[in-house]
Amino acid sequence: MSLDTSTDEETWMGTGYPLRRVVLYITLVAMAVFYLIPIETGVVTALTDPGTYSGSYPYLPPLEPLLSDTGTFSLQPFENAFGLLGQGLVNSLILVVPATILSGLLGSMAAYGLTTIDWRGQIAIYILFVAGIFIPYQAVLVPLTQFWYNVVPLRTAFQPMTVVPFVQAYHWKLVALIVTHTAYGLPICTLLFRAHYKKLSDEMIEAARLDGASIYRIYRRIILPLSVPMFAVVFIYQFTQIWNDLLFALTIIQFGDASVVTQELVGLGVSQSGTNFPLRMAGALVAALPTLLVYVLFGEKFAKGVAA
Amino acid sequence: MAELTLDNVTKVFTEDDGNEIVAVDDVSVDIADGEFLVLVGPSGCGKSTTLRMIAGLETVTSGEITLDGDRINEKQPADRDIAMVFQSYALYPHMTVRENMSFGLEESTDMPDDEITTHVEETAEMMGIGDLLSRKPADLSGGQQQRVALGRAIVRDPAAFLMDEPLSNLDAKLRATMRTELQRLQAELGVATVYVTHDQTEAMTMGDRIAILDDGVLQQVGTPLECYHTPNNQFVAGFIGEPSMNFFEMTVEDGQLVGEGFEYELTPDQREAVADADRVTLGIRPEDIEVGVDGAGSHGYDVFVDVVEPRGDENTVHLTFDRGVEEPETFTATISGLRHIQAGEPVVATFPPESIHLFDAATGVALHNRSLETTEVTEQVP
Repeated sequence: MSLDTSTDEETWMGTGYPLRRVVLYITLVAMAVFYLIPIETGVVTALTDPGTYSGSYPYLPPLEPLLSDTGTFSLQPFENAFGLLGQGLVNSLILVVPATILSGLLGSMAAYGLTTIDWRGQIAIYILFVAGIFIPYQAVLVPLTQFWYNVVPLRTAFQPMTVVPFVQAYHWKLVALIVTHTAYGLPICTLLFRAHYKKLSDEMIEAARLDGASIYRIYRRIILPLSVPMFAVVFIYQFTQIWNDLLFALTIIQFGDASVVTQELVGLGVSQSGTNFPLRMAGALVAALPTLLVYVLFGEKFAKGVAA
Repeated sequence: MAELTLDNVTKVFTEDDGNEIVAVDDVSVDIADGEFLVLVGPSGCGKSTTLRMIAGLETVTSGEITLDGDRINEKQPADRDIAMVFQSYALYPHMTVRENMSFGLEESTDMPDDEITTHVEETAEMMGIGDLLSRKPADLSGGQQQRVALGRAIVRDPAAFLMDEPLSNLDAKLRATMRTELQRLQAELGVATVYVTHDQTEAMTMGDRIAILDDGVLQQVGTPLECYHTPNNQFVAGFIGEPSMNFFEMTVEDGQLVGEGFEYELTPDQREAVADADRVTLGIRPEDIEVGVDGAGSHGYDVFVDVVEPRGDENTVHLTFDRGVEEPETFTATISGLRHIQAGEPVVATFPPESIHLFDAATGVALHNRSLETTEVTEQVP
């Protein structure tokens, strides 16, 4: 042990740059380049003239006129993408924010009930939750359509809600999608929270019980504040999952005003005269922006939660 | 402030495969108002389970627990007016010391906020943690966390305190300080306290009375000195006292004891106490063994020093009857720290007849305890 430390120190003193550190930095830079190249490629392609993009390497800066038809550099493709995807972005936000919060909150509550509180039969219920993780999406597509279109009269039930400002009749499809994503995300959220709650000290919960806190108050005042790092993990995970989902959106929303951004992206820049790849690239970047933002906002807490 | 009573309390755990484990077996003990009772025993003896039953964290299988005359078996922990200090301190890590201490008052009383603040601050002052109120547990040392845990219990002004090995995570020196402080605090507050520990030193030094548990069964309840000098059985005799009492397996032959390596002449009283038992265990505390150079006789034996452990104030000497054996059977004696004695030296160990204990070899029940007159005499002689 002590021998190891001394050799390390010798390397440090002897060469000025310890080999291990140099290798570490080279690896980190290589990884950063590797992960950033697709984004860089996207940005560069988005700024290329649709007529010339196929003539150069996609990750190199465009040599020819930077913008279609004008020959000058501008952020026009991004503005176009924003304009065309606007409705989809709004719909996606309406979907993803409540669905993420709901699945996180319900997952945390379910995990608390299944882990910290002791009651008969909880293991059986927990096994049901775990089984839920393994139901493949494809297996539920047809039942889901049937459920939301024929079994639950959500469309008619939602009609009165349209008196509320900003609520549109077609939003019922988003509500259906919110419920579906919440239900589908619940098992994995519960699993993550349960792992976290199992590590909390039993004595601390018992102390709270002796202090007179009810089951709800213990959750509210002890468990919830201690779950913040895990919430960051769950929020990032669920946000990305739901934001990027296309399958459920195609099944439940199908088409129309309620289409989410992933659906809109499919048809972006496709016309009879050919595919406008720079526009598609700009659209893809715009669509990916919210998930990047969530990583930036919750990243630090996320790392804490993963480490815990 | 109230009296806490355990009446034939039993706890049976049923395992998943239907096996029943009796963790606490028919324990009855009264804790008077203001009394400090130490529940002591080896790990797994049921002492923590007993405490948790009083707290309401475990159900009671049978028997009754009353606080101030009221049966509390079915009451929720929150409704029992009991505060508990945990071994791990169980502080709420996301709350400051102030929030930790006010939590119980906020949850269990209708006390207005400013009154809670006053209470918390007064208690914190008393515990010497007044300047730590805005810190979080992670920023505190073990000893400070310990004080916060105690303060959190005290601020509630409960009818009884329960403490589950609260000092075992502290280093030895701090533990000794906190031992004294806890005792002083408890006496000051005058609240009935049940203190669980596996450490017999804590039990001896802190308790008004100690209750010794083994395998779920209450072995003895008494003052520390009662348990030390007149143990009910061999378990208590061996558990209380450090270093432990020496035990020798003996057979009774014509009013004297015959064991491996030595014979022991009994006094008429002792003979009567042994009665018709034919196998007994002779017990003698290390400090009662006289180690000299001569005087071998009916109660003095030629032995050899195996190992000497100096402790400064006294030496613990491991003695053996068999010399030259690889790992000999030894027994311990304590002698003055100023006496020089070497390993391998032949000495004479005398077991004074008034200091020996006799236990039934089969059941461990005490047949005869040391005479206490001599201890009283030595205490009176200046």
